[in-house]
Amino acid sequence: MVSRKLTVVNASGLHARPASILAQAAGKCKSNVIIQVDEKQVQVKSILNIMAAAIRCGTEIELICDGETENEDLETLARLIESGLGE
Amino acid sequence: MEDIRVEKTASRGIVIAPVYCYREPDLTPETGAVSQEKVASETEKFENAKKSVVEDLAKLAEKNEVFAAHQEIAGDFMLGESVLTKIREEKKNVQQALDEAIKEIAAIFDAMEDSYMKERAADVRDVGKRFMAFLKGVRLPDFGSMEREAIVVARDLYPSDTVKMKAAYVKGILTEEGGITSHVSIMAKSMDIPTLVGVKGILEKVQDGMMVCMDAEKGTIVLEPDEAAMQDYAARKAAYEKERQELEKLRSQEPRTKTGKRIYLCANAGNVNDVRGAIQRGIDGVGLFRSEFLYMENTHFPTEEEQFLVYREAAKLVPQELTIRTLDIGGDKELPYFSFEKEENPFLGWRAIRICLEMKSMFKEQLRAILRASAFGKVRIMFPMIISLDELREAKVVLEGCKAELRAEGTVFDEEIEVGMMIETPASVLMAEEFAKEVDFFSIGTNDLTQYLLAVDRGNKKVASRYDFMNPAVLRAIRHVIDAGHRAGIKVGMCGEMAGNPQAVPVLLEMGLDEFSMSAGSIDYVRKLVLEN
Repeated sequence: MVSRKLTVVNASGLHARPASILAQAAGKCKSNVIIQVDEKQVQVKSILNIMAAAIRCGTEIELICDGETENEDLETLARLIESGLGE
Repeated sequence: MEDIRVEKTASRGIVIAPVYCYREPDLTPETGAVSQEKVASETEKFENAKKSVVEDLAKLAEKNEVFAAHQEIAGDFMLGESVLTKIREEKKNVQQALDEAIKEIAAIFDAMEDSYMKERAADVRDVGKRFMAFLKGVRLPDFGSMEREAIVVARDLYPSDTVKMKAAYVKGILTEEGGITSHVSIMAKSMDIPTLVGVKGILEKVQDGMMVCMDAEKGTIVLEPDEAAMQDYAARKAAYEKERQELEKLRSQEPRTKTGKRIYLCANAGNVNDVRGAIQRGIDGVGLFRSEFLYMENTHFPTEEEQFLVYREAAKLVPQELTIRTLDIGGDKELPYFSFEKEENPFLGWRAIRICLEMKSMFKEQLRAILRASAFGKVRIMFPMIISLDELREAKVVLEGCKAELRAEGTVFDEEIEVGMMIETPASVLMAEEFAKEVDFFSIGTNDLTQYLLAVDRGNKKVASRYDFMNPAVLRAIRHVIDAGHRAGIKVGMCGEMAGNPQAVPVLLEMGLDEFSMSAGSIDYVRKLVLEN
């Protein structure tokens, strides 16, 4: 299991569009992907779960990947989140 | 045969056509538990529905990005797990399992404080409807399936419905709800479709294919007309068509009143296509270019370059003027990519110029785009929702800053560009004399002005009958603004629904209004009124 702390840069937080991009990207990962925000654990492969977490701009999150491809997956997803998920 | 009558009307035209019901089918889930042996077939039903719904949405997503998020939701594993657990462990049938799962997920979004996220509950329910329609084997209403000309009958129509409407087949519209300034009314007017709204109980009385006659101006509807009624409406239709042709002949005439005053006839437009359509009616220009549509029908704040290309295209088309209203968002208008905080009173809240003066870099991008377009045609800038001289001056300072930047960059623009403001708040009416000294023109926005002056919410059915731009208080305010403008030597126009209203136009001419800007469909008739008065 590997993890990294990140900050959400999207002005409106992880709303529908960025959530959809993140869920799609996570869906392609073989490892299990979770975002830890405060006490909450968010299943990143689920757009509903991401949106329901209402993660706002500036929030610190911990991205956790667990599985065979965890290192590459963490790298790919972390870069995507840091770049603002296409926004 | 049955006659129906509607009091308030807002469009014109006679239609004789069969009905197309835009009705939501019954999507109530089946009740009853399933036995252990049936669990497998119920889960299979869900998987099949999921496959089909995701495929449908993928096709829709190619044309409209909104559906991409719906597609994700449909294929989402949180939804899938929730449904399958209910079938396997709670022995619910697939319809009930789906219904509960959708309700639970929608409730999570409903409970959020952020108004943007709250609305995602609607997305979840929309997806739920698609699943349920598949599971029940029923058809969701869809304009795409219309195969012949018809009068559309619906409870109400929303922007998402109307974009899908094939105008070629929709000859008339009857809705149970909505007022004459509601979305469906304004949209139907710009598409030039005869429409009657607030027709109570109509959906109960009609079926697909039933023959109906309607007169949108008189507000009369006949269901299953007999021979005599058919003949009556056919005659009215012929007379109306003839009148339209007569009106079209007047298009080449300069709109001058009997006293010789040249009146400026302009159209309201939301995009370049609207401008193109309106030009054919012999207009002087566009008195209200609603720039918010550029923002609303987008996935991000449109860049300076994106806006410039649109404004330039419109500027090249118009004969005499293109008045661009700077972003008027907030109130009932939201953006898909920006979350507005929930407000108790959105119409009295953070909207229009109030947003722009706070989000200055966004405001500057728009002003720079407008200025750059002014090199290609007669462009005017108009600020909405102004309530104080401070606001107006602050907006002008930002504008001057943009001009200085462009000069420094060597970019050309119209140095004489006119700057005006909307008069749509009671404050701007009372301060009209002072404002008139600092702007080049006024444009009275009667839709908001009426609601603010009379303290009547124009979207609220219970008080809809009190919403009246012919109320003496509104008329007195308009007269005051016209007089104040004229004393300062500036032109006064109007860009609300009132400017295209047959009862209001003679009154406004009498008061000395200089420019009338309206939905394209009203222009021919208003020209005739101008020539006759």
